[in-house]
Amino acid sequence: MRRLRLPGLALALPAWVWLAVFFIAPVAVVFWYSFGYKPGLFGTHATDRLSFDRYLEVLTPTFFDTFVATMNIALTGTALCFLIGAPMAYWMAVKAPPSWRGLLLALVLVPFWTNFLVRTIGWQVILSPEGWLSQAAQTLGLPAFDILYTRGAVLLGVVYNYLPLMILPLYVAFDRVGEPLREASRDLGAGRFRTLWRVTLPLARPGIVVGVLLVYIPLMGDYITATVLGGAKGNMVGQLVAAQFQTAQNWALGSAMAITLIVIIVLSAAAVGAALWLVSWPLRRSYRVRLDSGVTQ
Amino acid sequence: MSTSSTTDAPPVIHRLRKPVIDRLLTVWGVLVLVFLFAPIIVIVIYSFNTGRLLSSFEAFGLDSFAALFSKHVLSDAVMVSLRTGFIAALLATLLGTLAGIALARRPGRWAAWFMGLLILVSVTPEIVDAISLLPWLVFLGQDLGLSMFNDGTVRLVIGHSLFSVAVVSYIVRARLVGLPANLEEASADLYASPLRTFRRVTLPLAMPAVLAGLLLSFTFSLDNTIVSSFVQVSGSTPWPVYVLSALRGGLRPEIAAVSTVMLLITLAALAVVALVLRRAGDSSAQIARTMAGG
Amino acid sequence: MSSSHDVRILTSKAAAPIVRRELSRRGFFALAAGAGTTMVLAACTSPDGTPLPGATGGALENALSIYTWGDYDAPEVLEQFTTDLGPKITLDSYGSNEEMIAKLVAAKGTSGYDIIVPTGVYIPQLIENGLLMPLNRDLIPNIEYVDPAYLARDWDPENAYSICKAWGTTGFVYDTTVIDRELTTWNDFLDAAQNEASGRTSVLDDPVEITGIYYWANGIDWDTTDAADIDAAEAYLIENLAPHLAAFDSYPGGAAIPQATHALMQAWNGDARLGIMNSPEPDRWKWVLGAPATELWMDNWAISASAPHPEAAHAFLNFVLDPEFAVAQLDYIGYHTGAKDVEAQAREAGLEMLDLVFFTPEQLATMQDGEINEAQERNVEIWNKLKAAAGA
Repeated sequence: MRRLRLPGLALALPAWVWLAVFFIAPVAVVFWYSFGYKPGLFGTHATDRLSFDRYLEVLTPTFFDTFVATMNIALTGTALCFLIGAPMAYWMAVKAPPSWRGLLLALVLVPFWTNFLVRTIGWQVILSPEGWLSQAAQTLGLPAFDILYTRGAVLLGVVYNYLPLMILPLYVAFDRVGEPLREASRDLGAGRFRTLWRVTLPLARPGIVVGVLLVYIPLMGDYITATVLGGAKGNMVGQLVAAQFQTAQNWALGSAMAITLIVIIVLSAAAVGAALWLVSWPLRRSYRVRLDSGVTQ
Repeated sequence: MSTSSTTDAPPVIHRLRKPVIDRLLTVWGVLVLVFLFAPIIVIVIYSFNTGRLLSSFEAFGLDSFAALFSKHVLSDAVMVSLRTGFIAALLATLLGTLAGIALARRPGRWAAWFMGLLILVSVTPEIVDAISLLPWLVFLGQDLGLSMFNDGTVRLVIGHSLFSVAVVSYIVRARLVGLPANLEEASADLYASPLRTFRRVTLPLAMPAVLAGLLLSFTFSLDNTIVSSFVQVSGSTPWPVYVLSALRGGLRPEIAAVSTVMLLITLAALAVVALVLRRAGDSSAQIARTMAGG
Repeated sequence: MSSSHDVRILTSKAAAPIVRRELSRRGFFALAAGAGTTMVLAACTSPDGTPLPGATGGALENALSIYTWGDYDAPEVLEQFTTDLGPKITLDSYGSNEEMIAKLVAAKGTSGYDIIVPTGVYIPQLIENGLLMPLNRDLIPNIEYVDPAYLARDWDPENAYSICKAWGTTGFVYDTTVIDRELTTWNDFLDAAQNEASGRTSVLDDPVEITGIYYWANGIDWDTTDAADIDAAEAYLIENLAPHLAAFDSYPGGAAIPQATHALMQAWNGDARLGIMNSPEPDRWKWVLGAPATELWMDNWAISASAPHPEAAHAFLNFVLDPEFAVAQLDYIGYHTGAKDVEAQAREAGLEMLDLVFFTPEQLATMQDGEINEAQERNVEIWNKLKAAAGA
């Protein structure tokens, strides 16, 4: 059966090498900076004296408060993206006519080929106190609409900009479940809900995990998306890292902060993963569907 | 097919509800598309603004489109972005697809390390990539004398590819993992060469994921601001960096005009693709779908 | 607001023939500059080891690379330079000084940029890191058209490395339908932020601009490094101002003023002017120059130490300082270029709201240059805490 198989490493080798040269090597240098210090007013970093002092400077109440606020926004944002994106992806992959699917996939992304700041202005025109929505509300005799710079606006900005990162992996996941399998499930007497719960969702699980991670992880490090519509309410921990690298020009502290942040984002993602694992227990219990030769007809 | 534990429910009642749920799903899908396009529609309208500020509509006119012809800095920046976007997306998709297939089909002890690396890539704040890549590229280009790393497009492509490689790998892996490898094995049994099996069986299986990854990579590249602003060289300012830096003097409607033109070109291209696909029939898509377990 | 629009179109059209008339005269200037070469060469052998000017008035190179803020120069001025003198301009842009400095430092002399436009307070850092080329002032005779008020600022007292490109100051704009009393000082700003404009106030997204509000209001030196002053600023801003802030927005004129999203906004003068002029209700907004004291920031023409085209760079600096371009440049970006007598020209050209561009000598006397000093680290810390408190 297994003849002439390339070892997996060979297929992954180009990506390994690429990331080793252009990610591991340079970021290792920044890791090194984090043990250094800022030498005087006009320098950004020096590593002739090494210490863990920068890491001690990172752990301030401001850092923790901001981190908790960030996690709050990221978790809510991820959940909203899933709730909005999952039915959309399901519709695209399962319900929409097959010839539309490629087109729909592209249409989900086309809005994001307009520049981020320009899209933001588009939202401001819609949402500002004298904007389109507010005027429409007033025409209908409702009170003026003022959502900008509220927590709602934070989440709107986040959901809008991260939705494609949820929809695309979910689309790919739902697409692979395939109509014949669902039909078979129904022919065997399962209801629609049961088919969804016992066949579609379990099979789509790897894609769901990717979608959740692709929204949650970059969102935890993002500090711009939440502020453009949400203003002060959208303050996120990535801002602290950027402030050290840019405004304070202290690359040593910035590096220590970035590395601390990376560690706790990974830990928090693991915690979220563990929580999801527990919550999805019934889902796994029903994961009795095995795909083998019969499925592909 | 072996589906167990699903044989006891009465089927008929649920089938009657099907059209309602389908219609609701369609409505939801259309609503999400409207949501995604809402600010873009505003920008298209505002690109006909003759005022000084993009965000404040004064009067209707085509002045902003005239600027596209007279201010080369606009088209230069857009061209830098498009060029980088295409190359970075192709490259990231190639690397990521191979890696994703390897992760799903040939996981070995290396796979855990590699997944760890991919997670590290996606969790690293962009500013760290930017700060670290800049001196590194200068080192490669100047100290090691590899002059290709002094090229603006090369630098931008490298910077834009990192996150995208990780994303494509994830999506392709998620697509293939858990799907049976028996088609590939059957192909091998029929004496197809590994390359042929890969091209005719594995790749079509992964295709929706590859396509999604390609589109996402292109999108990330078009919007990349932080890494771009650090690694760019003279003559390679990409569009998002230009827009961000133009805030100081107030964004002009011509920036919306650029967006409108790009949108129109994109939609026209999509229409052509859709037309060609329809003419060719759905046969190719259908084949891929069937093989993918649909 | 079609009226303001018409005026602006008229201005640039009116400027065009003047520009064309200047064409022949400028060609002569370039020749004259070239003739002065020998003297400059003699001055080149500086004994004290400082970097030498990289330009001697020789033939212009055929290219010029300018690394500046996006959309920061009138396109017709740049085009005119290429038409008149030849070098083809490549424009690149950056969004922050730190980004530009990081780039020049890392590139170790290979950035390829000729002209950069740093903000004044960053010039000492650029000089100390050897990133700027001393200007050969013999090649830039047009510096005589720059108002002496905008030369010899703290960051470069002899203008050895830099010349004013545009300058601005800080104040605030308020919505008179929300705040019906007269605001005139930073103390009024702080008071209104905590009362009528609570939850509808924005400040600039820059640490020293925010601590500046407190220092300027209380007569404390903006450049203070005194720990007691800094602690007092921190306590006041976090306890009293933070809960009332809606946003940290460096460019409220770009959207917040025309869309009336805030009631009280700290703003730079040119940005405020742009926002008010483009508001559907300009009369609703009132600009107040920061008082009793405020800042003067200045973006400056400077030449990179590793400039590949130093002759063309000097020629460009001389070209752009020509008084004939002052109004076009000022009108394009909305900030004073530092040119002498530009006020009269601007009034003649019919530019609007010039009280947000030109300031009286008395007002000018209240504007402080600022500097990057040891307090920066604390300022960033206060900024971070303030953001955390305002976001809570």
